[in-house]
Amino acid sequence: MSDLDRAIAQLRACRLIPEAQVRELCYKARELLIEEGNVVSVDAPVTICGDIHGQFHDLMELFRVGGDVPDTNYLFMGDFVDRGFYSLESFLLLLCLKVRYPDRITLIRGNHESRQITTVYGFYDECIRKYGSANVWRYCCEVFDYLALGALVLGASSELEPTGPSMDTTQSTMPIDDELETEILNSRGEVTMSTYRPRPQHSSDPSSISPPRDISATSNQAPFRSGAAGTSASGDAGGSYGSRTGAVLCVHGGLSPAIDTVDKIRLIDRKQEVPHEGAMCDLLWSDPDEIDGWGLSPRGAGFLFGGDIVKRFNYRNDLSLIARAHQLVMEGYKEMFDGGIVTVWSAPNYCYRCGNVAAILELGEDTSNGGTVARSNGDYGRSNGILGSTNKAAVRSPGRRYRVFEAAAQDTRGMPAKKPVADYFL
Amino acid sequence: MASTATSPSFQKPNSVTVKGFKIITQKLPILKADPIEEMTKELGITPPEMIFGDNFVAIEHEQSPWGIAFNAFDALDRVDKTGTSMLKVAYSREWQKSREKTHEGIKEVVKPFDWSYTTDYTGTVKPGSRPFIATTKPIPIELLKRPDPILFYDDVILYEDELADNGITMFSCKIRVMPSRLLLLARFFMRLDNVLFRLRDTRVYVDFDEMEIIREYQSRECEYEAVRRTLAATRDDVPAVMRDPNRLSEILPLVEKRLERVALTE
Repeated sequence: MSDLDRAIAQLRACRLIPEAQVRELCYKARELLIEEGNVVSVDAPVTICGDIHGQFHDLMELFRVGGDVPDTNYLFMGDFVDRGFYSLESFLLLLCLKVRYPDRITLIRGNHESRQITTVYGFYDECIRKYGSANVWRYCCEVFDYLALGALVLGASSELEPTGPSMDTTQSTMPIDDELETEILNSRGEVTMSTYRPRPQHSSDPSSISPPRDISATSNQAPFRSGAAGTSASGDAGGSYGSRTGAVLCVHGGLSPAIDTVDKIRLIDRKQEVPHEGAMCDLLWSDPDEIDGWGLSPRGAGFLFGGDIVKRFNYRNDLSLIARAHQLVMEGYKEMFDGGIVTVWSAPNYCYRCGNVAAILELGEDTSNGGTVARSNGDYGRSNGILGSTNKAAVRSPGRRYRVFEAAAQDTRGMPAKKPVADYFL
Repeated sequence: MASTATSPSFQKPNSVTVKGFKIITQKLPILKADPIEEMTKELGITPPEMIFGDNFVAIEHEQSPWGIAFNAFDALDRVDKTGTSMLKVAYSREWQKSREKTHEGIKEVVKPFDWSYTTDYTGTVKPGSRPFIATTKPIPIELLKRPDPILFYDDVILYEDELADNGITMFSCKIRVMPSRLLLLARFFMRLDNVLFRLRDTRVYVDFDEMEIIREYQSRECEYEAVRRTLAATRDDVPAVMRDPNRLSEILPLVEKRLERVALTE
């Protein structure tokens, strides 16, 4: 067993590794992360996770529900640290897994992966408490500076393979030839809800089909497709179809008014503390809201963006979905703007007192194209009325499987007592 | 839909009756999306991120219609919804200045309101209750310092918000019931990092034998920097004190104080 495997085993048991080993780990992680672009390309299948916030035992529950690394390919959208009691164990384990299985786990930066924020919200104090000095905090912050700002998931399937027996009775009324679009599973792996959408028709004239008209997304009868994806066999003016579905952009917070294309994210000099100004700050801090266009947060800092902004951005970048984290959502996930954006939250019973459930989002692999994944994020078409453009065919949103889970049992691990201790307050 | 979290720590309403006064508390998980949407509509403002809309503390007198309760909705209904008393986060100027040129089109502040959720809520008095009247009679602190057995105790959060990682705001209620009296402390606590501290304490004291209720409201407030300077001169763990409203209440200067009383015998 290598040192790294030993460290992983130790951290999985929620025991810390020596400071010297942390230092070496952080060094290796930085060497690895420096090679990654600001926007990492990730091939489906992938499981997308939101905020963890040092809730180590719930992270273990997440792995139990979602499968272990490296069997499952993971993408964590930041906020590994602060708030919870085990930021160190959680982040160091994720980092070990990253170094051990670099292609099976992607870590992007959240707004808490910053010196300033961790000083106020717990991670700094935890480092001092557990290691007796700020050294480990400093090593970790150096790693934070190298974390990618986003990820682009490619090759996700528009249709889910149904999961075993369903507890949801509504689906029996659905036509069998509709395709499974979303599925909600509980932590025991039982389906609690499914939604379907009509399967697109075969056609040699994509313009006659609306709204979803990606002809390469016809069905799972792959041999009978009229034009192979990525070959332009459809003859559509919008260019070649690279994929059945558009790409999925993953980012911690949201969009920025300074960023209209994914490529502009690639131009940011990310290797720094999260600044208060500029696009890098926005990507990690902004929130979607039910507004038109862009707005300023009433707090005096931070952007809010509406559904039209998401639609336009997705259209322009051939995205079918933006996945983000950053905001607590009670059901563990929340889709907004006709499914154009989803918030994923992976810290159940947040701060050990909210009683919320958490979720992870699984995107399946599109196998209809022989496993070939389109690398571009600008070629395959989509159609959308809002810009009046009709020469792009619609991209279909990916099939989305949400696994919802609850907090790990707490009684055995010395959490703060849930029963409040009576005190003679005045 | 998503299954509900069933943590053992969330219970059915707790209650105890002592000498004709019934005390009830309820603690449930934060609200889900649908009830939040409803509440948003009714309140006219976005509720805090952690909204314990089903939680409450209530005290009721069994022989009369008198009663008082504390719940999140009524507390939030007293938050300024106009935006006239809006605070700004510490780095707001820096943030906005750096964006003046690039995003000139974006000027509009979305749905302005007091996002610090500051409230002067002192409880919801049950309809038909004998009203509180101003008094000079203070809460008998000495009696409350006695180590009488605590028959019932609870600590109930009504709402909490992280102010988008710019501090903390929280409304919570503590109650302890002794054989002859009870004390309830409903506390609003807000720390806006590098800007401001606020405390709004409502104490409800009930003397079961005298059938008398005294309610005291205190408002305390101080600039962040002044608190930091005060603490820097001590040997205290400054970040820890800045999270601790009990310690801060000793430091923050009193801005306003009100005393009211109601006697159920007269």
